[in-house]
Amino acid sequence: MFVYEKQLQYPVKIKITNPALAKLIISQYGGPDGELGASLRYLSQRFSMPLPELKATLTDIGTEELGHLEMIGAIVYQLTKDLNEKQIKEAGFDQYFVDHTAGIYPSSAAGVPFTAAYIESKGDPITDLHEDLAAEQKARTTYDNIIRFCDDPDVLDPIRFLREREVVHYQRFGENLRLLTDKLDSKNFYAFNPSFDKACFKKARNRKL
Amino acid sequence: MTEREILLKKISTYKFAIIDIQLFLDTHPDDKSMLNKLNEYKKTVTPLVREYETKFGPLKKSDENNNTWLWVKNPWPWDTEDEK
Repeated sequence: MFVYEKQLQYPVKIKITNPALAKLIISQYGGPDGELGASLRYLSQRFSMPLPELKATLTDIGTEELGHLEMIGAIVYQLTKDLNEKQIKEAGFDQYFVDHTAGIYPSSAAGVPFTAAYIESKGDPITDLHEDLAAEQKARTTYDNIIRFCDDPDVLDPIRFLREREVVHYQRFGENLRLLTDKLDSKNFYAFNPSFDKACFKKARNRKL
Repeated sequence: MTEREILLKKISTYKFAIIDIQLFLDTHPDDKSMLNKLNEYKKTVTPLVREYETKFGPLKKSDENNNTWLWVKNPWPWDTEDEK
């Protein structure tokens, strides 16, 4: 189950309205490499993970991503909450505004609505962990791209925090992959699915799955 | 920053350290020194959370409420100021 804590993982306090920047940052809410996809990806993949360390990592990172989704929502909300019509037009925010006003809607920067097609849950831990490693790097690049367009220190600060978390998560997923392959017969890494073909685990260290 | 924000920032700093250590322990479950560090931070943050909740309202719903349901109280985490 999940319990809500009435607190952001890292504080967000933005003073200057900036709808043009909000339009870019919304991509990390519901875009192809955004936090919504990240949380759904890990929280879905964890069910078929064969080792306890992997179940724990995917549960905890998936949960943390929900906290990041909330932070991105707070950033976009604060960047747009005191908008006037002139700012909306000048920033090109009118296309978002006409459908969502200043509400927070999961879409990409280009306005494409969120879709589960952004994620995969393949039921093979080697495949899924490779996707997770790639996902963290894609999210990191997206944050790097956001930073290129961002000169407000109040926005940069939480964005840099989120970027750093992608790097840490990448490290943890790398350790997950290592933990898994260490327990497999090295001849069989890609000949079997460790979640489906249980015989591929080394006999000497075969654990209760 | 208001007194509330300063205290909340302190709490979120410790809570973040706790989250990051817990994630590390998922792949290093036998690391004694990190387990000790985790317990140390948990001990440090507990009185800070108690102080915050007494002064500004609950962070989790499990807290006691007698006369009024304090959970609904502003500000919510995405609010920028202490709105009433």
